[in-house]
Amino acid sequence: MIKDIFVMGLEAMKSYKIRTFLTLIGVIIGVASVIMVTTAGGSVSSFIADQWNVFNPTGMVIGTGTGGATPQLSIRSVVFTTNDVEKIQNLPSVKTVAPLGVVPLNKILKRDGFLKWESRPGEIMYASTPALLEILNLNLEEGTMFEEGKNEVVISKNVAEVFGKDKPLHVGDTIYLRRVDSKTLEAKVVGILKESSTANMFNALSTPGIICPTKPYYSSYFGSNVGTILKRVVGYTVLLAEATDTKHVQDAQDQILKYLDSGGSDANQYKDQNSDFVVITQQYILVRIEQVLSVIRTYITAIALISLLIGAIGIANIMFATVTERTREIGTMMAIGAKRRDILQLFLYQSTIIGLLGGLFGCMIGASGSWFVVDLLNKNIQNLGGALSTGTIQLTYAPEWFLIASVVGILIGVAAGVLPARKAAKMDPVVALRYE
Amino acid sequence: MSEYVIDIDSLTKIYQTGKTDFKALNTVTLKIRKGDFVAIMGPSGSGKSTLMNIIGCLDRPTSGTVIIDGENISIVSDNELAEIRGRKIGFIFQKFNLIPTMTALKNIALPMVFLGGTTADRDRRAAELLGKVGLTNWATHRPSELSGGQQQRIAIARALSNNPSIILADEPTGNLDTKTGEQIMGLLVALNKEGKTILLVTHAIALKRFANRVINMLDGEVSEKS
Repeated sequence: MIKDIFVMGLEAMKSYKIRTFLTLIGVIIGVASVIMVTTAGGSVSSFIADQWNVFNPTGMVIGTGTGGATPQLSIRSVVFTTNDVEKIQNLPSVKTVAPLGVVPLNKILKRDGFLKWESRPGEIMYASTPALLEILNLNLEEGTMFEEGKNEVVISKNVAEVFGKDKPLHVGDTIYLRRVDSKTLEAKVVGILKESSTANMFNALSTPGIICPTKPYYSSYFGSNVGTILKRVVGYTVLLAEATDTKHVQDAQDQILKYLDSGGSDANQYKDQNSDFVVITQQYILVRIEQVLSVIRTYITAIALISLLIGAIGIANIMFATVTERTREIGTMMAIGAKRRDILQLFLYQSTIIGLLGGLFGCMIGASGSWFVVDLLNKNIQNLGGALSTGTIQLTYAPEWFLIASVVGILIGVAAGVLPARKAAKMDPVVALRYE
Repeated sequence: MSEYVIDIDSLTKIYQTGKTDFKALNTVTLKIRKGDFVAIMGPSGSGKSTLMNIIGCLDRPTSGTVIIDGENISIVSDNELAEIRGRKIGFIFQKFNLIPTMTALKNIALPMVFLGGTTADRDRRAAELLGKVGLTNWATHRPSELSGGQQQRIAIARALSNNPSIILADEPTGNLDTKTGEQIMGLLVALNKEGKTILLVTHAIALKRFANRVINMLDGEVSEKS
């Protein structure tokens, strides 16, 4: 009998094709938008998380700023000395540490023939140690890493082509670097960096144009006053470090902070009294990003759920209209032996079928719509240019949302149908039969 | 079981309309034998519709006892009342009241759906009844594709589907022309000859001649002069 009443409900819906179709569209849009929004949101989240993948998972940056639960880095004061670098290198949970000094260049020059020079506007050059490559997850396409104390540099692909794509610089070429203090330094190109495969918005940082050894390029430039003490030491604003493995990131961070805060470190003497030492790990960056993203995701999902709610109201509305319109039919059915339960089922099945079909088609349209939305976002990212124009958003479906959306679709069908169906079942057959 | 298929004793039905009570039926006592063809006549507001609704198990008495084919309808639940309606009573309405979304055959089968059984059995029985009212070729048509007379014949077939003992016809010819109305009355007479008890509610005096018993109603009371 349940099957017969189910078929009756189906037949009735077939007779009201346009009405059923429009109600269905309401649910489909609701379910599809939940899926599209959550899928697009998830895909964008992982894209953004990738953008912030600056270091190795074990990587961290050491500097000064404001400490506490949400540390802030302010790259201002030059406090870390070569001595500090050595001491941190010897901490048990630290694998490598590399100083990072900035050497702004006015010009990059190349000898073209005998007395002719070719010149290009300069870039920012990073002075560090060979360990930098590992911390920033970089590889050499050709050549070798520079040696400390030698006039050697490693350059990026972009810099290699600075004098024209048709005449790129090669390993072994000699270039001249004019610093902002007008001193010109000779440098031999010993290596060319491979372009990073995992592109992110920090490529400018993580794929520097030119990397040089601190000696002779940096030490001779910045070896002046540090803090208030007149003493010729080499100082850095930030250090980059790597923990021995992912499990020891926290240990490494604690050990570094403990060392820096102790009286034994040079940095502790040179730093401003009001600032703290700050260590920001890659793990911390990702956790923070995830927090921000989850707020955004929650917000967007809430909006999408509203459209599901509207779909539900659509079902309830149409079912109420149908019940009212079919009042005399309901009276007739009761007169020929229908029980209240039969009438309740008849209308409940109809709204459930709408919820079920809406959930099903909504999932299908949501899946293809997500693809479309992510494609659109990717096109827009390419149009943005600049720092963000790297990488593409990967479409990542969240299966749990397909389940949630379709289950909610069915539940909405049932829930939205309950009141109208009860209204139908509670009718007084005498009154219903008289209804015009 | 008593010899009466309908046994009504001191039936009173009071409707509460706002603050005032309206007595639609006033201590009506009425006994109808199996196989009777009874015409219930009276002007509108006389209480004939109320009496019809109570006999049809659509409504309950305020006081008094009503026994329909052995069932005391004052003491049964809503579900049991629906079951009694389905099994013992066949309704024929003035406006036919077919379900517009269903074919003629499915309309006839509908009362059987609420009592269970297989679809095949029901469709077989419906087809048989369709033949009985002479509309075998119209099985797959929907009510909107049928004439008024055809629709009423489908309604009669539907009323017969659960083989009820009582047929309640409420102005069955009210929406039909005289000729078609005569045909429908002819069908009812034939059913009466097969042993069905027929209650005809009407105010068309011309229909009196089909009944073997005429009950007049006025102001909630019955009188009989046969």
